[in-house]
Amino acid sequence: MELEVDDKDLKAAGAEILTDGHHGLRIHGWEIVSYKGSILKSSSVITWEEKLETSHLPEMVFGESCLVLKHVISGAKIHFNAFDALTGWKKEALPPVEVPAAAQWKFRSKPFQQVILDYDYTFTTPYCGSETIGLDMEKKDSGEILEASCSPCWEDCEEQIDVVALASKEPILFYDEVVLYEDELADNGVSLLTVKVRVMPSCWFLLLRFWLRVDGVLMRLRDTRMHCAFSDSANPVILRESCWREATFQALATKGYPTDAASYSDPSIISQKLPVIMHKTQKLVVQSNL
Amino acid sequence: MSDLDRQIEQLKRCEPLKESEVKALCLKAMEILVEESNVQRVDAPVTICGDIHGQFYDMKELFKVGGDCPKTSYLFLGDFVDRGYYSVETFLLLLALKVRYPDRITLIRGNHESRQITQVYGFYDECLRKYGSVNVWRYCTDIFDYMSLSALIENKVFSVHGGLSPAISTLDQIRTIDRKQEVPHDGAMCDLLWSDPEDIVDGWGLSPRGAGFLFGGSVVTSFNHSNNIDYICRAHQLVMEGYKWMFRNQIVTVWSAPNYCYRCGNVAAILELDENLNKQFRVFDAAPPESRGAPAKNPAPDYFL
Repeated sequence: MELEVDDKDLKAAGAEILTDGHHGLRIHGWEIVSYKGSILKSSSVITWEEKLETSHLPEMVFGESCLVLKHVISGAKIHFNAFDALTGWKKEALPPVEVPAAAQWKFRSKPFQQVILDYDYTFTTPYCGSETIGLDMEKKDSGEILEASCSPCWEDCEEQIDVVALASKEPILFYDEVVLYEDELADNGVSLLTVKVRVMPSCWFLLLRFWLRVDGVLMRLRDTRMHCAFSDSANPVILRESCWREATFQALATKGYPTDAASYSDPSIISQKLPVIMHKTQKLVVQSNL
Repeated sequence: MSDLDRQIEQLKRCEPLKESEVKALCLKAMEILVEESNVQRVDAPVTICGDIHGQFYDMKELFKVGGDCPKTSYLFLGDFVDRGYYSVETFLLLLALKVRYPDRITLIRGNHESRQITQVYGFYDECLRKYGSVNVWRYCTDIFDYMSLSALIENKVFSVHGGLSPAISTLDQIRTIDRKQEVPHDGAMCDLLWSDPEDIVDGWGLSPRGAGFLFGGSVVTSFNHSNNIDYICRAHQLVMEGYKWMFRNQIVTVWSAPNYCYRCGNVAAILELDENLNKQFRVFDAAPPESRGAPAKNPAPDYFL
């Protein structure tokens, strides 16, 4: 079922729905497109494992799924995909988290020559989106790498995303939620990376969320919000706010909160119960040097 | 038409039974299951099915592809419940078929057939929502404790939900397990329902979670050899292509929940064995969305912050 968007709202906002088979829209110089595919086939899993130099990937990697927000004039592109997120996971390489049953398992007789695997099976990632600025296809194809000139400058800033304005019920012209990867931790909880986007007449807003619950052990929420108010300027400003929250079940118990995993199925409801461990706001001024 | 046949027809339409009917059905099922061995003997021809996870309308596709029970004899490798929207109807239909045709359908236990797991992953909530009480969940989880742990087809194909255990080297050791209990957190019974084959170890591996065994090719070779079996058939892990051989065709994973969780886009498979144990995998897709009152592909927009 497609989202029902009022044609009048679209017209009034100067937006047009993409008709070239893509799911998305064009608005105020932005082209916003989402794509949702299947999980990786076994052959692609092998390729990804080689590229990422790992022998383990999440059970469900939506390798072709993505969300792309492109500023057409400048060529600046903010995008979200599983590969870059898993590159971040591989780099961060947190130590594994033991599940409650591990305490009992320490007393089990060890099989002959047991190998203990030690990768971060929670697939925790610091990923906060990918971006390319003004990199046109010719340069990319020639293999010329223009790291310095292409990496965008996110600068720390004092401004905050205007949550009050976002709470107003402007019509939503485009909405989607894209799952990038998911793992059930072999029924020990959930690890889920998703990105949601909504586009209104005045702005676009998105939430990239990494949500982890290791049942009986800990919860981790790493949110990245991005907001861009539409303006007539050729240099739009994007605000990016990252907020990481984390708590152990033990810490929640001492505060009197429930400790059964079933109470923590929806991160948006329980996020306030998790203390903030990192928070920063940055901005990016998209440069259209034409 | 007997009450049981009427109940089967009703369940095939995805309509749950009354609480009192569930109670009576579970009592009858218990009488049958209690007699089964931990290594239940199964005759060929038989069709082996992996995880279903409450995807009722996709299980109907499975029966379309594999044929109706009792005409086709079935072996289900557990994980009937949780995750999908229709765990109640899925499990009750399989259980009713078991009571009606005990020799034509074998149900073995998966790691989701457990009180603890179903309280987190959906079945408990679904029972509460559909019946207004947890009685049906209690009757069903009591039945879980009676379900067999494995099956042996014509003495040649060993079938189990998860995999092997370092505490088990012979089938007789499985036969001595006292299975009438909640799935324990460790030990042989836990391993049979939870463990996974793993390419990067040859012998035994321990999961980075600190609990859960992984077993490599040499473990499978020696198990198959000492028990004189051709190969192991197991479920428990999602496979995009529906089935996957490992370790030079000594173990196969069969997955029977297409488009898992209504979004993975994977196909499912069942494994048909004829009377000579010749294998044929039948791959199938999810039921078309319009036939199952499925959730919308695109989520309803919300004013998330």
